[in-house]
Amino acid sequence: MQILSFPGEDVEKGGYLLIEDKKAEKAMIAQVIDIQFATVPGIMEELLRSPNIEDYVAGEDADPLNVMSHILYIQDTRLLVCKIYGTVAEGGLRQENSWLPSRTYSTIRGLPTESLIRLAGITKGLPIDLGTTQESSPITIDACELDGKLNIITGKKGTGKSHLSKLLVLGLVEHGATVVVLDLNGEYTNLDLTPEGNRNEFYGKFHVLSPSKNFKITLYQTDLNVIMRILTYALDLPGTSAREFRHIWRFLEEKGMLTLHELGEAIKRWQCNQHVRDAMFSRYYALVHSNFFTDNMAESIDFEGLLRRTDENGGGAIIIDLSNTSPADRQVVVECVLAKLQEILSQWKIRAIFLFAEEAHLYLRETYWDDVVTRMRHFGLFATFITNQPNTIHENIYRQADNIFLLNFVNEHDLEIVSRAARVDAETAISIVRDLPPYYCLVLGKVVKDFPIVVKIKPLNIKTMGQTRCFFEQKGI
Amino acid sequence: MLVIQQLHYGATSRYNFPPDVEELELPEKLVEVSLGSMLNVKGRHFQPCEVEFAPPFPEKSTTDELLDLPVKSFSTLLTPLKPIQDGTPIVGIDVSSIRIGETESGIICAVRGAVVWNEKRHYKFLRIGPFPFHITEENKTRIFSELGQNPSSGLSLGISTPTETQRRLCNLVEKRVQTSISGTASKSIILWDGSLTAGVPGNPVNTVSQSLALARRNLNSVLAFSKSTTLRFLGWRITEIVSSHEPPCLLEIEDLPLSVSKTVHLLGKIYTVKLTPNGCSFRLDIDRSLRQEQAIVAVEKLLGNEILFQGYPETLRLAHIYSTFTANDVLGIQSFLALEYGLKLITRHNIRRTLFGPYATGIED
Repeated sequence: MQILSFPGEDVEKGGYLLIEDKKAEKAMIAQVIDIQFATVPGIMEELLRSPNIEDYVAGEDADPLNVMSHILYIQDTRLLVCKIYGTVAEGGLRQENSWLPSRTYSTIRGLPTESLIRLAGITKGLPIDLGTTQESSPITIDACELDGKLNIITGKKGTGKSHLSKLLVLGLVEHGATVVVLDLNGEYTNLDLTPEGNRNEFYGKFHVLSPSKNFKITLYQTDLNVIMRILTYALDLPGTSAREFRHIWRFLEEKGMLTLHELGEAIKRWQCNQHVRDAMFSRYYALVHSNFFTDNMAESIDFEGLLRRTDENGGGAIIIDLSNTSPADRQVVVECVLAKLQEILSQWKIRAIFLFAEEAHLYLRETYWDDVVTRMRHFGLFATFITNQPNTIHENIYRQADNIFLLNFVNEHDLEIVSRAARVDAETAISIVRDLPPYYCLVLGKVVKDFPIVVKIKPLNIKTMGQTRCFFEQKGI
Repeated sequence: MLVIQQLHYGATSRYNFPPDVEELELPEKLVEVSLGSMLNVKGRHFQPCEVEFAPPFPEKSTTDELLDLPVKSFSTLLTPLKPIQDGTPIVGIDVSSIRIGETESGIICAVRGAVVWNEKRHYKFLRIGPFPFHITEENKTRIFSELGQNPSSGLSLGISTPTETQRRLCNLVEKRVQTSISGTASKSIILWDGSLTAGVPGNPVNTVSQSLALARRNLNSVLAFSKSTTLRFLGWRITEIVSSHEPPCLLEIEDLPLSVSKTVHLLGKIYTVKLTPNGCSFRLDIDRSLRQEQAIVAVEKLLGNEILFQGYPETLRLAHIYSTFTANDVLGIQSFLALEYGLKLITRHNIRRTLFGPYATGIED
């Protein structure tokens, strides 16, 4: 739908219009997805009144009747390209787009996002304060609309993805949810501190686990299935070797000797092909050198116990700080954590976990994506993927995403990828997202009842860790 | 690269050459006549012209002379021209009009003038208007008279087509602008669009003569460029004859009588001129009261101080461009009329389009 707008009518890209057809006793809700200059007849001639000389020709208009203001008014007429998103009839909102209001009898006015939010019931339930709308009115989303859902936060570097992600983590924790964050850059480690470094209201709700430091586990705490997933998926152990390793593990388990030391000795003594032994040894040393496994019970952590305590204490977040972990070890840790989560959830030890994964393609194996969005959802693991490379998330993940938080993108290829999401109208996403300033986000999906809304994300009162460290900053330049 | 954005009309920085708008004393009279003509228009029904079908740039009439020149009138004197670059200011004047729509009793036209100054190749412009005029059979004599047409001039003001009325209005406004510039500019070359033929509708002899006299008094030289002419010699258009000569050159057409008919007066000497090698040739009328040498020097000064585009003076070209109405202007003026005068817009019933659909060519009068 295209609507003419005259100078002085304050309309922004992403804003909503209410087109009331009094005769039909209905009103249409349309979102402005693009603003262009109207193709006014003769406009090119007007603009091309340029001379054959290099100098700018200064001039004056002796226009006592002030007709020029009308001419300029026409020149500045804009064309609003709109998308129809719903109908208001009999006091209620319906997602019905099968009619068109009268061109003659309809009145068009801006629909403040605040009114739309109220009309669509976006703020009901457990509120998470996201920030403000384009008209500076507050906007909250319902935490229940993140529950059981698959979410994606994407945008180019420096637009505020992690900031938004932290906001959601804090919002969920506030409502008692248990959150696990795979923190690639150590950005979430101080969410329980104020910018000045003092404790905030979340203090005690956040547990930062750094692999090889305060996050180590013993082989006793590790199920065979978990260790086999690590060996197979993270360390690429071939099938024959995996079979032998399984025998060794069971042997040690029966003997009550399941330690790293005994495992190494057993591989050394095991009657098997030398190639198989070599393969097992190389993986064994990878496990040892990751420093993630330990034989010392005192330095190991009861991950399951920590999760259960967090859940019982009214929610909290466990931050897996992967910032100082090598890519190979990262895969080992993540594989272990996810296997553990799956195990805990499948045994109903915890009702549900919200998983936040930053740049997941750097540590999630290929086959895991589908697993997360299909199977794991039913166990109660609800993922939020955060990335600045939208092509690293599979198309089927986009198609199944329930909520998408889009920050600025200008790259056509990136825009094309995000526009594939089932809940995104491609035209809306491409047109609005490319003009979003930093810390503005286009929210799509169930959290906004499928009305795309541009949100200015609120600042966080926490000690942020996500800024890029710069060389010249130190020199005070 | 041209950025499509709102046009910027910058404040005029102070050069010594363009006079103040107040000094021109133009708008006041035009406002008075324009407002006077619009008095009876309030609340009327108004059929706006369809913008895309309106002729965008209707040309002003020069004269309707259809002269085949006698052999003896043609001079063999071809004057080669040498540019004189002395910083003489050049002033170009042009006025355009367009029909905006119709009421039950008449037509509404808009007129806009443009004056462009060139001093040492720095260009500045002044646009005057647009001024809307509601012209009916009842008020047109008064309007034309107020704009300078002598009612006793003997020129018919009877039934005329809207296009003729519009042209006459445009010419009268143009004469006022020309007179005003003749009185304010000094030691300049003043360029008019058209010829120096007077006594035809919209070109009263008195007004044109006074304007030329005023210009001479201020040491100005008036040159009038016609883009087209109907003057012929042995069947050839006079502008064709000069085309074969080495430019820049001037070819004089001698011995034309001052009065072509009882009413039509040629107040300029007629030349054909070709100023640049790849440019066009034009009919050039130079104030008859200037001596031959003065006339040639004036053209040589133009040659030395002006940028020529296809052999046509840039100052005059700009004046045309700045005065011309675009479809966008028409929409803006229609909007102004509707708001200012409470005109009730009604859809124009285009009989040609009704009858012929997409084959409706030509302009309705």
